[in-house]
Amino acid sequence: MPIRESIWLALDTLRAHKLRSFLTLFGIIVAVTTLIVVVSVIEGMNRYIAERVANMGSNVFYVTRFGIITSAKDWIAAQKRKRILMDDYEALRAQLKLASAVGASSWSQSDLKAGDKQVYDVGIRGTTPNMINIGTEQVGDGRYISETDFSHRSYVCFIGADVAENLFAGSPLGKTITFRGQTFEVIGVARRIGTVFGQTQDNFVHIPLTTFLKIIGTNRSSMGIAVQALRPELMEQAQDEARLLMRARHHLPYSQKDDFGIVSSASIYALWENLTGTIAMVAVGVTAVFLVVGGIVVMNIMLASVTERTHEIGIRKSLGARRRDILMQFLVEAVALSTAGGVIGVLTAFVGTRIMAATTSIPSVLPLPAVFTAVMVSGGVGLFFGIYPASKAARLDPISALRAD
Amino acid sequence: MASLSAQVKGGIEDKAVPPDGLLIKTLNLWKTYLMGSVEIHAVCGVDLEIQRNEYVAIMGPSGSGKSTLMNLVGCLDTPSSGDYWINRRLVSTMSDDELAYIRNKEIGFVFQTFNLLPRASALHNVELPLIYNGTPADARIQLAKESLRMVDLEDRMHHKPNELSGGQRQRVAIARALVNHPSILLADEPTGNLDSATGQEIMGLFDRLHERGNTIVLVTHEHDIAQYAHRVIHIRDGKIAKDERTR
Repeated sequence: MPIRESIWLALDTLRAHKLRSFLTLFGIIVAVTTLIVVVSVIEGMNRYIAERVANMGSNVFYVTRFGIITSAKDWIAAQKRKRILMDDYEALRAQLKLASAVGASSWSQSDLKAGDKQVYDVGIRGTTPNMINIGTEQVGDGRYISETDFSHRSYVCFIGADVAENLFAGSPLGKTITFRGQTFEVIGVARRIGTVFGQTQDNFVHIPLTTFLKIIGTNRSSMGIAVQALRPELMEQAQDEARLLMRARHHLPYSQKDDFGIVSSASIYALWENLTGTIAMVAVGVTAVFLVVGGIVVMNIMLASVTERTHEIGIRKSLGARRRDILMQFLVEAVALSTAGGVIGVLTAFVGTRIMAATTSIPSVLPLPAVFTAVMVSGGVGLFFGIYPASKAARLDPISALRAD
Repeated sequence: MASLSAQVKGGIEDKAVPPDGLLIKTLNLWKTYLMGSVEIHAVCGVDLEIQRNEYVAIMGPSGSGKSTLMNLVGCLDTPSSGDYWINRRLVSTMSDDELAYIRNKEIGFVFQTFNLLPRASALHNVELPLIYNGTPADARIQLAKESLRMVDLEDRMHHKPNELSGGQRQRVAIARALVNHPSILLADEPTGNLDSATGQEIMGLFDRLHERGNTIVLVTHEHDIAQYAHRVIHIRDGKIAKDERTR
């Protein structure tokens, strides 16, 4: 019997028993939906992390006091670390051979006031003038902090788009902002960056690092040193060079671990992938269990179908259907059934991720290879679990099959 | 000694392929079932010959073994011993799939309960045997329509069995049996589920098919029906009790 006939027959049977087919396929639908949703979210997050979170500027890494800390124990131990100070920045800037630029910045938070308007908890960053080239912020209007501002410890600031919008009606250039008891003149506004996981990235104020240290105090704050390597392929070597310099400055013996951290886009991304890899593995495991359960349900319903249609099988055999014709008919039916489950699962997942994208800030991207694999695997499940019922049907004796009601 | 050698010689000759025109030939056909430890002989050494274009009725009370014989003749079952040729092919030693091929090519079944697929149209029911021998779709539809025209049901081809009367259903079944131009038409109580007027109508159709050159084997327990045939074979206790030409 041609395969086309079998497929036609299988789809017709599915149409005839819509509710039963749906109930049968529930396990497979849930499995495929779970898999596709998880893979979509991971894929979406991956792109998001790569584009937004782990994007520090090209060839840039940071030397910081803490680096990436993933456990409470490490965090407590890291509290004893030395602060990274202006001296470290100057040493690295003077001695790093593989760096094209070395900048530094320090962070704090403050409420801002301008005229009668006020905003709360804005990130204040003291930076070196070259940070505009190293970091991802870009000048939208006005200018960034200059070398003169830096050396004179000027009271000037470069503000994010949100700050500009919230504090000023017109152009903020030349206006003043007050925080920490000091008044700063706005010299530039950054181009809008957007949001990451629903958090705005435009709520910041940059002031010269020298001014920052004067207000906050030289020894009370640690800073991050941003290093831009000469070329992308020198990233690793530049990091090694920086590490060596820092270890020498901190007089670390050979056996002791670093008492500072080096953070790059790659290291953040690796941490992230480590996490999503675990999530993906759990998802695949859950899916596999669902698929086996779904497959057994398909097998059960196919066995019921064979019993129910024994008479039909008898008729077909009396008209010349060979074993392989009957085998094919029921196998194709099982595969069509479970593939339909896979397709419904993919569609459900697609709709689900669209709804999620519309209502939350969780990003998702539907990866085509995963869709293809999910549909193929669900078809394969039907094939595997259809073999026994189909061969049972094929082996039926024509006479007793004809006698069955 | 003489009789023994004659038997052996006869055996060898009988083993030879039957001549053309002898559609069915059985030689000492047995079918034995095992019920627990008791052997039941349903068919005991039947020798049967049916020529092309014969119209034969096989008669017998229930339990006589006529159904078993019909299953053997229709290649739905295999004999416990003995030989059976259909259209010069030895089928008694064939495998399941080879028998399926013979059923498809050589035999057209007409059953008491019609045995149509309930969810398929008349046309699709008639197409079925052609599907199983790989006839391409367009040729298949053509042949199925011709076959339905032969039983005057062309205008009902898109109806499903439950939209047809009993007589119409049996005519669809006959169209299905004929669509592959089989060597024999094997009808098992074809009027058993029909009222007598419709039964006569179906028997009239069989008469016409016989006139056109079809070979018909009819299994029945009704004398009224058996009288349509030209030869009546009476089965009793698994043996041929009487074989008479009635016309």
